[in-house]
Amino acid sequence: MLSFITRRTLLAIPVLLGIMIVVFLLMRAIPGDPCTSMLGERATPEACVEFNEANGLNDPIYVQLGIYMKNVLTFNLGESVRFSRPVTQLLIERLPLTTELAMSALFIAVAGGVPLGIIAARKHNTLIDSGTMAMANIGVSMPVFWLGLMLAYFFAVVLRDTPFALPPGGRLSAGVFPVPYYEAWGWNLTEGTFWARFNEYIANHYIFDTFITAQWAIFWDLIRHMILPAIALATIPLAIIARITRSSLLEAMNKDYVRTARAKGAPERRVVTRHALRNSLLPVVTIIGLQMGLLLGGAVLTETVFKLAGVGTALFDAIIGRDYAVVQGFTVIIAAGYVIVNLLVDLSYGYLDPRIRVK
Amino acid sequence: MKRKSVWFALLLALALVASACAGSSGDTDSGATTTAAGAATETTVATDTETTEAPATTVAPDAGFVGTSLEAGGCDYGGRVDSITAIDEFTVDFTLCGPHPAFLAQIAFGVFGVQPAEHLEATGGAPLDNPIGTGPYSLKEWVRGDSVVYARNDAYYGQVAPHETAVLKWATESAGRLIELQSGNADGMTFPSPEDFATIDGDPNLVLLDKPEPNIFYMGFTNTFTPWDNVDVRTAVALGIDRQRLVDTFYPPGSETASHFTPCSVENGCEGDAWYDFDVEAAQALLEGAGLGDGFETKIYYRDVTRGYLPTPGNVAADIQAQLKENLNITAEVIVMESGEFIQASSAGELDGIHLLGWTGDYPHVTNFLDFHFADTNLQFGDPIPEIYEPLKTASQTASAAEAAPLYVEANNAIKEFVPMVPIAHAASAFGATATVEGAYAPPWGQVMFNFWDNGTDTLVFMQGNEPISLYCSDETDGESLRACAQVVEALYSYTNDGEVQPQLATECVPNADLSQWTCSLQQGVVFHDGSSFDANDVVASFAAGLDAANPLHVGNSGVFEYYDYLWNGLINAPATDG
Repeated sequence: MLSFITRRTLLAIPVLLGIMIVVFLLMRAIPGDPCTSMLGERATPEACVEFNEANGLNDPIYVQLGIYMKNVLTFNLGESVRFSRPVTQLLIERLPLTTELAMSALFIAVAGGVPLGIIAARKHNTLIDSGTMAMANIGVSMPVFWLGLMLAYFFAVVLRDTPFALPPGGRLSAGVFPVPYYEAWGWNLTEGTFWARFNEYIANHYIFDTFITAQWAIFWDLIRHMILPAIALATIPLAIIARITRSSLLEAMNKDYVRTARAKGAPERRVVTRHALRNSLLPVVTIIGLQMGLLLGGAVLTETVFKLAGVGTALFDAIIGRDYAVVQGFTVIIAAGYVIVNLLVDLSYGYLDPRIRVK
Repeated sequence: MKRKSVWFALLLALALVASACAGSSGDTDSGATTTAAGAATETTVATDTETTEAPATTVAPDAGFVGTSLEAGGCDYGGRVDSITAIDEFTVDFTLCGPHPAFLAQIAFGVFGVQPAEHLEATGGAPLDNPIGTGPYSLKEWVRGDSVVYARNDAYYGQVAPHETAVLKWATESAGRLIELQSGNADGMTFPSPEDFATIDGDPNLVLLDKPEPNIFYMGFTNTFTPWDNVDVRTAVALGIDRQRLVDTFYPPGSETASHFTPCSVENGCEGDAWYDFDVEAAQALLEGAGLGDGFETKIYYRDVTRGYLPTPGNVAADIQAQLKENLNITAEVIVMESGEFIQASSAGELDGIHLLGWTGDYPHVTNFLDFHFADTNLQFGDPIPEIYEPLKTASQTASAAEAAPLYVEANNAIKEFVPMVPIAHAASAFGATATVEGAYAPPWGQVMFNFWDNGTDTLVFMQGNEPISLYCSDETDGESLRACAQVVEALYSYTNDGEVQPQLATECVPNADLSQWTCSLQQGVVFHDGSSFDANDVVASFAAGLDAANPLHVGNSGVFEYYDYLWNGLINAPATDG
């Protein structure tokens, strides 16, 4: 197992290096420059020369690439040209929200998608099956942007002043902020140290932070704000998971070992859950892993519609603003997250199917 | 005794003369606490005490007050500012390099906000997320990515905010901001999409606030390319485009077809003849005369970026393309460019077709529209046209608006005659607010101030389009940052809701006869949010940090201080560039 993890980790290194180089070159290949994005439309050529000089943008590309690679290898992701702040600090602020959103959406997608897929498979060729799959198709084809706006409009405007009203956006109500656990518990952290930044990162997972510190009013405010974006973001993965679960389970139900289990007189529930479902979960887990990666990096629209300051919007703004360091740094982190999730998926195969473990 | 006094006065006068001579030579030993600021300039400290060792540029009369000054050491560097001096605790003198009629309108612009000199120093010239000002709010917290939270300044000398807290939030999409407003989660919002004007107007819970934002959308030509080097061809396009159709089809209610480049709300903006009427026959005749009766091929360049003056760029470009074909048989290819590339190419006069661009005024003065676009240094429309830029140059140095009016007649008529561009529209825009808010308004110039908005609760929430880039607006250019800063940091002047300028931290700024020197008296007893007192040195320090590239506090966010550079015609001690 250890050698498997080591091998996979080593294999991830060239993947990440490749991503870094490709993103670096792509950012410089697209038209536009950071100066105009940063200084505005009225930036004079002289101002741009000065700006580019100050930010090392006049250096040859290979020099810039060399500096960038060297910095990343020393865990320095650079500084945002736009905000004059380290990219790691932006990640500390932005990544937790995206992680919470992605986890919430994934929870909804799995909790909804797997049972729906099972029901559809169990009721194969019935109205329930057709209805479930029709809903799944609608879910897959529903534009997140539109769905998000509709959800926000319905729950915030139409149901305004009712108990079912939900906030249309933001992470918390205006002016409400949680107390970080380290402050609540009286920890004395030295500002600027790794330990302080690590704790800041953890505490920026507001749902987690307010839960462990029992800030219940803020916790519920967070949950209320998270419901709509999580539903909007979960719709497509939910539909995909439901379809994969259904088809995979249907295939498993026709296998010999299921027939054998039935012949042995095992109850149908046991046949499905114990024999068929477990064996049909491999492709479902693969899809869940892929979806998790997509959710981490691809929640741009959801974050935009619901005014959430996560990785997606930061990345989008950075691309528009030609904030090279942010694009590169965030991409590397997302790619690393993707690699880790896929590693976990691979490891879970061994649990779900002992034959893979043996191999 | 009397004799001694005479000798003493004589010595003092000699010392002053000596210091003045040393100052004018540009080779001064700047004194005890001088901050050297490059070969040609210096930032000096003037004292009110007698001194024989330091050649002081200013003698401040108030006991104990040490006045500072920023000196460019002449005007050879090309900028507008010769010196800014704290004459005494509450008087600042701006000595300029020439008459500057737009001085008051310009210093009211939010980027010229004043912060305590000590704070600028303490933050190393980069108070990016902790501004200290004198405004109606102090900054409570900037939650990155989420909101800026302000606390009411109970000691504010102006109208104290009715609510304890103001929260500035943002959503890129206008639809997102509108839903916040409709759901009661926000009290005000910037720039609803024109399609939503009717929705807001029709909702009894909401109010649409007209924002007469002074702007212009135009079609530009570069006269160094054929056939745009022929004024008849340019005039033919001016006559052959139905501008009213564009305004009626693509602009929100309240927008106007432009009669001049500058909106008429700006003094002297609409002097001279109104623009050409739509006249296809006359246009075709001109093209015939130019030997292009059968039409020709060209390009329409634009960027796919929505602005107040161009709400639907793609649609407008397509309609202009269609009109050129229908009316003048001109075949135009529409080319969408990346925004930065487009700005760069159009500014350099490198676009060989028609380019679609616009402008939103920074401050209420006609120079902000005309001088930027039609000066002899601007290559956007190709070779600059003397018939336009010469009267503009004279007008920009004419003290009286009435005296300048004939010059603007001349310039505007020359613009009509030589057609470097075709002015299309002055676009309307708006803010939205909930109907329960009292005092909601949308100013034409400057920023909306939340302390005038009363929603009857302890917290006011306002939505804008984007997060501020930083809260040190001396070095920012985007409206979102400027709006966020304006609640905290104030300038010497500000704009009224009618677009006039009014004293803010100054009680008045009085010019000399030719408007080249402005002496500003400051409000007394004003206190910054950190408890320190506002005085003339804070004004000098704030301007020095922005204007003097060699000042150690000239740091900011990008370090470029774009508006200081652009509005004062260049920075003092600007580093030499190859480009």
